[in-house]
Amino acid sequence: MADRYSFSLTTFSPTGKLVQIEYALNAVNQGVTALGIKATNGIVLATEKKSSSPLIDASSSSKISLITPNIGMVYSGMGPDYRVLVDKARKVTHTNYKRIYNEYPPTRILVQDVARVMQEATQSGGVRPYGVSLLIAGWDDGIEPETKAGEDAEPEAEKLAVKSGKTGGILKGGPSLYQVDPSGSYFPWKATAIGKSATSAKTFLEKRYTEGLELEDAIHIALLTLKETIEGEMNGETVEIGIVGPPEDKLLGYEGVEGAVGPRFRVLSSQEVEDYLTNL
Amino acid sequence: MDALVSQLETPRSQQELYNSEEEQEQLALSLSPSLKFALPPIAQSQAWLRAMTDDYSNPNCPIKIAHGTTTLAFRFQGGIIVCTDSRATAGNWIASQTVKKVIEINSSLLGTMAGGAADCQYWLAYLGMQCRLHELRSKRRITVAAASKILANLVYSYKGMGLSMGTMCAGVTPQEGPALYYIDSDGTRLAGNLFCVGSGQTFAYGVLDAEYRYDLTDEEALELGRRSILAAMHRDAYSGGFINLYHVKESGWVKHGFNDMNPIFWKTKLGKGEFSNVTADLN
Amino acid sequence: MSSPFSINGGAAVAMVGKDCVAIACDLRLGLQSLTVSNNYPKIFPYGDVYLGLTGLATDISTVSDLLRYKVNMYRLREERAISPQTLANLVSSSLYERRFGPYFVSPVIAGLNHKDGKPFICGFDSIGCIDFAKDFIVSGTASDQLFGMCEGLWEPDLGPDELFETISQALLSAVDRDALSGWGAHVYIIEKDKVTKRLLKGRQD
Repeated sequence: MADRYSFSLTTFSPTGKLVQIEYALNAVNQGVTALGIKATNGIVLATEKKSSSPLIDASSSSKISLITPNIGMVYSGMGPDYRVLVDKARKVTHTNYKRIYNEYPPTRILVQDVARVMQEATQSGGVRPYGVSLLIAGWDDGIEPETKAGEDAEPEAEKLAVKSGKTGGILKGGPSLYQVDPSGSYFPWKATAIGKSATSAKTFLEKRYTEGLELEDAIHIALLTLKETIEGEMNGETVEIGIVGPPEDKLLGYEGVEGAVGPRFRVLSSQEVEDYLTNL
Repeated sequence: MDALVSQLETPRSQQELYNSEEEQEQLALSLSPSLKFALPPIAQSQAWLRAMTDDYSNPNCPIKIAHGTTTLAFRFQGGIIVCTDSRATAGNWIASQTVKKVIEINSSLLGTMAGGAADCQYWLAYLGMQCRLHELRSKRRITVAAASKILANLVYSYKGMGLSMGTMCAGVTPQEGPALYYIDSDGTRLAGNLFCVGSGQTFAYGVLDAEYRYDLTDEEALELGRRSILAAMHRDAYSGGFINLYHVKESGWVKHGFNDMNPIFWKTKLGKGEFSNVTADLN
Repeated sequence: MSSPFSINGGAAVAMVGKDCVAIACDLRLGLQSLTVSNNYPKIFPYGDVYLGLTGLATDISTVSDLLRYKVNMYRLREERAISPQTLANLVSSSLYERRFGPYFVSPVIAGLNHKDGKPFICGFDSIGCIDFAKDFIVSGTASDQLFGMCEGLWEPDLGPDELFETISQALLSAVDRDALSGWGAHVYIIEKDKVTKRLLKGRQD
């Protein structure tokens, strides 16, 4: 029965399912686990970097990618599909946003754009859905949550926020973490995991996650979670970590330009990962 | 070049513009000192002048001559009303808001200026001189008909060389009574009861034609002149400034002020409820 | 004289003050020398950012409507009001889209930055080159005159009331020397939590 609805194009089954999308999710659920945790002052993305042979040069391959200076992305599922999505995400960032507004899109806007790309693959002829789920982490300029909630928040900023945030929306800046699935649906998370051991990882995260987490604590929890699920050895070569943290002006490659702010997103070096692991 | 100048100049005085030989001779004598204009040292001086100064035929002409005006004059039972605006523009630039566009030729003759400011000023001053010479020669005041014809013939002799003027001569003489003539640089010369000249002429005609009667009282006539110019100043971008109002009577002309249009406009609007197109409130 | 920029006439100016900005425009709409309307404002609000447009009247309508559409879409998509800087870049990219068949307009923007409340003004040419200025921006058929007036009257750190006085004098005096603009004016004074709109009665010639 299922075979009749397994054409190369996505077609509804009589029960209202799009089986191709379910198959794509199956591909994701066989993928290497990836996780993300949002802290008050940043976000961490982490995943295992499996190599099929000791001859692979692990230092020159990377699973966590920069999309904009303040937004990074990791996946679980099919690597080649992910690379296509990274390309499309980076491109759409410019065509749909930076070329128009001369600034990078807020995280949610980028997530919507990427989700659209993935949704289109579920409704177009001659294509299959992407076999990946994504975790997208980013930092947005704007009024940060604690400033807004804080009692001694600047009254001016408060007033401005009330005046211009018409739908109560995203004048709110700060960190945000999203998951995007092959269907094109997306969810905001405080902490989550995707891939092979997503369920157990999430259970672990539920126990460890607390409100008001700092970025350093989040990195620590991320490694602990990964440790629960990882199959091989854990070292700087096999674990990959990306963080959204404070602006790194050093990474600009130049200095002395007034108003220039460095990127917040970066992938940690294997040495940095190694350092975190020794302190675990 | 001297040859060229004399070649262009001599035929002018030999043209048979005047009826009597005596008049012609007198004028030739009196004209010679003042009418030596340097001409462009090129073969087609007329075409060249036109190309350089006539912004109607060539909007990019390099020599911009001040333009834009509303002037009016009309005959009525009590004499003649002459009324003008006072704006001088060079392109969209307002060069002056206080130009005197009525030229007092003598105590009973008035001329109005429209078109090239310099052309009007120079030739109406010249006309004043000729009128005075006529007076001294013939021991009587020149008629408006004769004065206007001096001007008409003069500008005709320069036809095609880029002169730009639309003027009216108004005066009251014992021979003619109140007389009004329109003369322009094409050489047109018309007698009539009512003229409006300049970029704002249509707006002035609109008010003037609607309210004009020959048996207007002096007060009504002055108010009509003022109101017609006001309408033109309001709607025509190239007219504005001050309202210059004259009344020519048998005893000579009387000046009725040189008044800023703006207070008069608001008084007319708020006092009489006219100009309801102008809003005084937000939105 | 038949340049599309000077068929309809009009003038606009924006100025920076202390914790406030001002933007003003005249009210004339003409067809060459003929004044058609005395009530044609050239300033358009986009949330709390203001855009002044001078030039060809048909393009003023088209561009202001196009930007209203784009800014409304932005607000729906992003659930926030557009900031002056972002609007400036949106105007710039929208104008450059018509590089080889431009809208005949000279836009001016004034607003306060949402995050720090800093005054922001800028102007554009008709194909989107942004002119960021710390003092004032002028546009329209009276721009030469406005430059003269602003250079003469503007000074740093004017309060809202002084700024109103300054921008009003600058605009009224400038348009009194331009045949194609004037006939009254609108002035907006934009402060942190207050926008004041005033009508100026100008000369009616």
